[in-house]
Amino acid sequence: MTPSHTPDSTAPWFAADDEPDHLDGHTIEELSDYLDRGKEPADPSVDESAACRIALASLERLHGAMGSMVQEEADRAPARDDSWVTTILDGIVRDSRSGRDIPISHPAPTARLSVTEGAVRGLLRAAGDSVDNIIVGRCRLDGDVTTPGVPVTVTVDANVYRGENIPTLADNLRSALLDALHSHTELTIAGIDVTIRDIFLIKPEPEGGVQNHD
Amino acid sequence: MGGYDVVACHDEFVTPGATVSCESRATIPDGKSRALLEYADDHTLVDRAVDGDVRAFEVLVRRHGPLVRAYATRILGSSHDADDVVQETFITAWAKLSTLENPAMAKSWLMRIANHKSIDRIRARRNHSNLDDVDVPASEDHSPTRLAEARSRSEALSQVLTALPEDQRRCWELKEFADYSYVKIAEELDLPVSTVRGLLARARKTLIREMEVWR
Repeated sequence: MTPSHTPDSTAPWFAADDEPDHLDGHTIEELSDYLDRGKEPADPSVDESAACRIALASLERLHGAMGSMVQEEADRAPARDDSWVTTILDGIVRDSRSGRDIPISHPAPTARLSVTEGAVRGLLRAAGDSVDNIIVGRCRLDGDVTTPGVPVTVTVDANVYRGENIPTLADNLRSALLDALHSHTELTIAGIDVTIRDIFLIKPEPEGGVQNHD
Repeated sequence: MGGYDVVACHDEFVTPGATVSCESRATIPDGKSRALLEYADDHTLVDRAVDGDVRAFEVLVRRHGPLVRAYATRILGSSHDADDVVQETFITAWAKLSTLENPAMAKSWLMRIANHKSIDRIRARRNHSNLDDVDVPASEDHSPTRLAEARSRSEALSQVLTALPEDQRRCWELKEFADYSYVKIAEELDLPVSTVRGLLARARKTLIREMEVWR
């Protein structure tokens, strides 16, 4: 442990002009940079200095305080009417997510029908969300969906709520997705891979509080 | 936006007897799907929005919009321009969402976009008006005379930050809220890196001194 030589140990570093004398030879800027790079690689001359550790704690507190400051400014802001959300949602280009066209057969030889990949993903999300205690994340269709009959693998990320039986939920999800795909598309499904990505700790209460009525 | 916006393929199915129906609307009550998404983490919402789920995106907008606005307001000194920044930020975010490498980091990513949009606005102002208009005056709420009346540490810090010299404040905000490096701050503000370091050091000292008073 490096001994602290503090000419004026009563004044904190931030009140002094000679930081290195107060911080065992370091400057607060060095310490700030050290913090910014996650204290990697470890510097024993900092880590073992009591004065530096106190200053580092100060810097960390300041960073936290800055975060809560802007957050509080956001929270304190008066509620506004919803037009700002509407403006944003009207401004986004929704077609950008359509993906590939998936053909749908029709008896009339002149008819060419298709459904977009984006729409099928929407279908999968909706079907998945209808399974209790699950929320679906990313959905992917792997395989040549544009050619009828080519096997397609569906990959779905999902999150479950704590305390639920994961294999059962995954099975329920898989069958809900398969049902939806069979009723609404003509895709040849080779398999449905479900990845449970996360376990949520808080269970949502639907509006009206009808969650626990069964 | 009522009902569950599932079957976006409606318009694709033009024939009578098409197989797509609105069953899902009946089986998922609106309240349940809304609650599902509102409790979902950012990662899930980003994944869904990348897949085209406008509703998930809407939850992200509502969740982070106020913070984006507070941040933009801080940089720009005007809530009118801040509203424009909020809009531009989310419209850009929707377009670029698939490039977000770590969807769980959506919040800081949004803040970075907002930062760019704010800087763009400041540059535009600079080009269209004389320099006197660039300096953002401290608003009445944040004037130093009211410092003593601050009710909380956050409020006090907010006032101290606003009262800092403009160049110090800007450096600090870019570093603190947008995680900008010294070099990047220097580029954004057209200053030498050494100057940025000095400005940050002074801002840091003032802010810490003020914060420690509130402990």
